[in-house]
Amino acid sequence: MSAPLIAFRKLDKRYGSQPVLQDVALSLHLGQCILLAGENGSGKTTLLKILAGLEAPSHAEVEYNGTTRPWKTAVRAYQPEVIYLHQTPYLFNGTVASNVAYGLRFTDLSRAQQRDALARALAWANLTEQANRPAHTLSGGVRQRVAFTRAWVLSPKILLLDEPIANMDETSRQQTCELLDRMKSEGMSIVITSHDAQPFATLADVRFQLENHQLHPCEPPSPAGESV
Amino acid sequence: MDGLLGTTQQALQLLLTGNPELWAIVGISFSVSLKAILFTTPVALVLAFLLANVDFPGNRLLLSVFNSLLSVPTVVVGLLLYMLFSRQGPLGDWKLLFTQTAMVIAQMVLCFPILVALSHSAMQAADRRAWETARTLGAPPWQAMLTVLYEVRFGLIAAILTGFGRIISEVGASMMVGGNILGYTRNITTAIALETSKGEFAQGVALGLVLLLLAFLLNFLLGYFQGKGKMRS
Repeated sequence: MSAPLIAFRKLDKRYGSQPVLQDVALSLHLGQCILLAGENGSGKTTLLKILAGLEAPSHAEVEYNGTTRPWKTAVRAYQPEVIYLHQTPYLFNGTVASNVAYGLRFTDLSRAQQRDALARALAWANLTEQANRPAHTLSGGVRQRVAFTRAWVLSPKILLLDEPIANMDETSRQQTCELLDRMKSEGMSIVITSHDAQPFATLADVRFQLENHQLHPCEPPSPAGESV
Repeated sequence: MDGLLGTTQQALQLLLTGNPELWAIVGISFSVSLKAILFTTPVALVLAFLLANVDFPGNRLLLSVFNSLLSVPTVVVGLLLYMLFSRQGPLGDWKLLFTQTAMVIAQMVLCFPILVALSHSAMQAADRRAWETARTLGAPPWQAMLTVLYEVRFGLIAAILTGFGRIISEVGASMMVGGNILGYTRNITTAIALETSKGEFAQGVALGLVLLLLAFLLNFLLGYFQGKGKMRS
């Protein structure tokens, strides 16, 4: 098998004396989709935030670009390639367009290139007509779509999604899964946490269960019927 | 005294005819207080942000100190700074006593705890996801901080207006470290105190009207921005 895009090893996280994650190991390959299942409070969100560099582990080693380093030194190198999406996405005060364009200002793109990228992204997610709508007036499904587009426009190598379809109606679920399919087919590596494995049956290549502070590999979800 | 009505008429006349002495006093008041709020705000906002978002030793103690300082009497601040700036004081060589600089410093000391405490409250109401979203979308820490500040801007504007209201209407500290020198350190409140002690009520009332008008304006703006903040949240 080819070398992983990124690999986390010996990952521990404690809150005081309370262990949350113990000796977790996770490798992610280019274009791969990993599904993380687990009960509420099992540490799924904490794990994703550590992977995203938003929360520090108590200990972890990270292999990235062929070098293995402690998390603290590795995070600067890999963090720009990772985008984390909250279960309920946070949209900044402003319009759909200003939200999608938010991250572009921190890239090396010129103003004209940023405008082009924004137009492409809005078209990609069928949001062009809603570009000037205030973000706080959007429905849950559209908010999620804006958050996805805001990530997609930055072309991250890795996308981390925390319960992306929780509390969504069927139509929004389908739209979200379609967007994820397209992102994966474009070569993005994706890690998803979800209670419900079924909607990601065709998308997920590998499935893990987070239990007793540790990751356990599971069978891939079957395309029909079963849920975790 | 011609009675309250007559004095008010005289006061309005002074205001409307553009009495240069009176408007110079108003100008000094605004100049000193605007400088104080301008210099204090950036530092106070950064400190409030750190207190709200970074868990460091002494965090809560520091916040308690700022909350306690909210109601510190202005004359006490004036007295402390007077002792610091007087010739025998440790900063006597700076020759700041009875200057506008001393008044600006005194007002900075007065509004700093207000800005920190009220901005901290506004920032605590901010959604943690705003910071995380900004960071994960590539914003460097200081840009992410600006994003969060922008998200709670109405609460912060309310804090700044409250701080400004406090310092433009204070009299004790300005009187003690400014010295009430006409055309230099005499501001609205010290002028009112002086004119009243001389029995010259017209100018005092005129200046009082300016302060009242300002108080109404600040309250209106405060209500407006607090309402905006609630609508957004």
